[in-house]
Amino acid sequence: MAETGLRIKGLRASVEGKEILKGIDLVVEPGSVHALMGPNGSGKSTLAFSLTGHPSYQVTGGSVSLDGEDLLALAPDKRAKTGLFLSFQYPSAIPGVSVGNFIRSARQSLHPGDLPPAKFRKMIFEKLDVLEMDASFLPRYVNDGFSGGEKKRLEMLQLAMLAPKYAILDETDSGLDVDALEAVGATVNALRASEEGERTGFLIITHYPRILKYIKADKVHIMLDGAIVTSGGPELADVIERDGYDRIREEVAGGVA
Amino acid sequence: MVSLSEPGSRNALHGVSKAALDALIATHGEGSIPAQMRYDALARFEELPVRQVIRGGRTWKHDLSKLDLSEIDVLDTIYADAVSGGLTARGVIVTDFDTAKARFPEELARAFGQAVDTRDDKFASLALAFQHGGTFVWIPDGVRAEEPIEICYEPSGAAFPYTLVAVGSGSSATIVERITSDERASFLCGIGEIVLGEHASLRYTIDQSVGPASRAILTRRAALGKDATLTLALAELGGEHVVERVRVVQREHGGNVEISAFFFANGDQHVDLETEVVHAAGATHSETLVRSAGTGRGQGRYLGNIKILKAAHGADATLRDDALLLSKEAHVDSIPALEIAANDVKAYHGATVGAISEDEIFYAQTRGLSRPDAERMIALGFFEPAIARFPGEALREGLRAALEAKLDV
Repeated sequence: MAETGLRIKGLRASVEGKEILKGIDLVVEPGSVHALMGPNGSGKSTLAFSLTGHPSYQVTGGSVSLDGEDLLALAPDKRAKTGLFLSFQYPSAIPGVSVGNFIRSARQSLHPGDLPPAKFRKMIFEKLDVLEMDASFLPRYVNDGFSGGEKKRLEMLQLAMLAPKYAILDETDSGLDVDALEAVGATVNALRASEEGERTGFLIITHYPRILKYIKADKVHIMLDGAIVTSGGPELADVIERDGYDRIREEVAGGVA
Repeated sequence: MVSLSEPGSRNALHGVSKAALDALIATHGEGSIPAQMRYDALARFEELPVRQVIRGGRTWKHDLSKLDLSEIDVLDTIYADAVSGGLTARGVIVTDFDTAKARFPEELARAFGQAVDTRDDKFASLALAFQHGGTFVWIPDGVRAEEPIEICYEPSGAAFPYTLVAVGSGSSATIVERITSDERASFLCGIGEIVLGEHASLRYTIDQSVGPASRAILTRRAALGKDATLTLALAELGGEHVVERVRVVQREHGGNVEISAFFFANGDQHVDLETEVVHAAGATHSETLVRSAGTGRGQGRYLGNIKILKAAHGADATLRDDALLLSKEAHVDSIPALEIAANDVKAYHGATVGAISEDEIFYAQTRGLSRPDAERMIALGFFEPAIARFPGEALREGLRAALEAKLDV
């Protein structure tokens, strides 16, 4: 039997010829929550895009498997079909395509034929409730003229509706007020408590520890300059909250010296 | 060069000659357009040059200057049908254009030529000269005609319809014009004239879906009275070579114009679309939204013009046109222009031309859509802001289906 989990081994990746990821090792087990923390420019988003197959990011070494399937060999849509989801830090607008139709098409692609229209509607209204949104969100064009908070809410609505096996949240918390942050936490926690999402593994990429007050992480990893420099339990986030990244940076530098 | 058949050629009725016009009048009579007016128009057609849209060196497959009319038969008939939706009891006239002069001389005289001036226009002159078929719609003052009036044209061979719609003071009407044809190579050269009285309101929707071998040159002119409203929606779907030219003139204070249009040139199709809104009086408002796209070897041009004359104090005009290219061989020019002679006006224009963004495709792919499905969804979405302005869900669904079918060719 294939090994379960989102397994990243020695992953190296470049953007425009410049190496950003310098060998990432990380395993997200089903049902677990991993936080990946690091300052701006440490390579967190590059990891998210390399895992999902963005054409501008070249993987130059290492391997990634999702429940035993070689992810790096697949096109982005095929990666989504193995059960990988990314909540974008800056999601694209798709003018003319309504939120409702977009999510319906996505759900159809990822879970073919499993939801008749009436059940789909019931489900999406439930998820909207958790996000404190209403039906007027659905006919709007995807991210077109959305506020920052609305964009993140749409990412969370998709997460809830698509119930992936592994979800990467790329700075979903950045720029959000407390209400929106609570809505993000409620969506993730509701998915984890549901039958569809109880085995969903999460990789929560963030700069700040505050989102971890709403979503309890099992493990915290600190990323600096394209590498994970230390990993630990949730208490590691408290260290960052108290001391910032400089202390860890000094420790790493000291260790090397 | 437009080739015209010489008088005395093998078949004088073929081509757009004086002999052909003689034959047309001999067969059908002059109808609603006096014979002399027709001969004058033919003379202008023969004299006037083809107005060229200069655009740096591109070779266009289809061009009006390459038009060959030598084989057309001006005696071909056009199938026209107009449904008045039970409005005639309220004084509404919906009739064929040819008998309008005989049956409704007063009404026709009050509306005809109020918006159209063919004097400097080659193809409007051609349409006027050989006019045969068409529709006359007259909404008297003070009638709110809620039921849509449907006008359907189905040309086979050559057709020169004149569509005249007049809406009286304080009246309102909804018109849907559908133009279809079969697989044969038909030639449609028509005039659409819209005359709106004070406080009149007209919603006019055009669904041009002629067959893939057909050519169409349509000249549409509208004139608005004080505080009149025109909501024009244009879907240019069919044809091998289509030229649609729209000009709306706001002569009186307080008018309001909304134009929404789209085309999608696929295969070897060529579409030329022009819209012009002239603000000739104060406090006039206009909003033009155009979506044009090309795929396959499709070509198209959109020329959007907003003209604000000196007297148009407080005019407010918006022009937004976006073009999308879905293949390497497709080409669409999008050329917006603002001519402003007044000071205290608001005018905005924005234009984009481009391919589908890779970021949008990637975003949709991460949601499980294959690249072709993502491109398809984004391409159809591109037209949606224009389609959303067409009335009726059934019509909108039909337009979406037609666009989707063009993606498959």
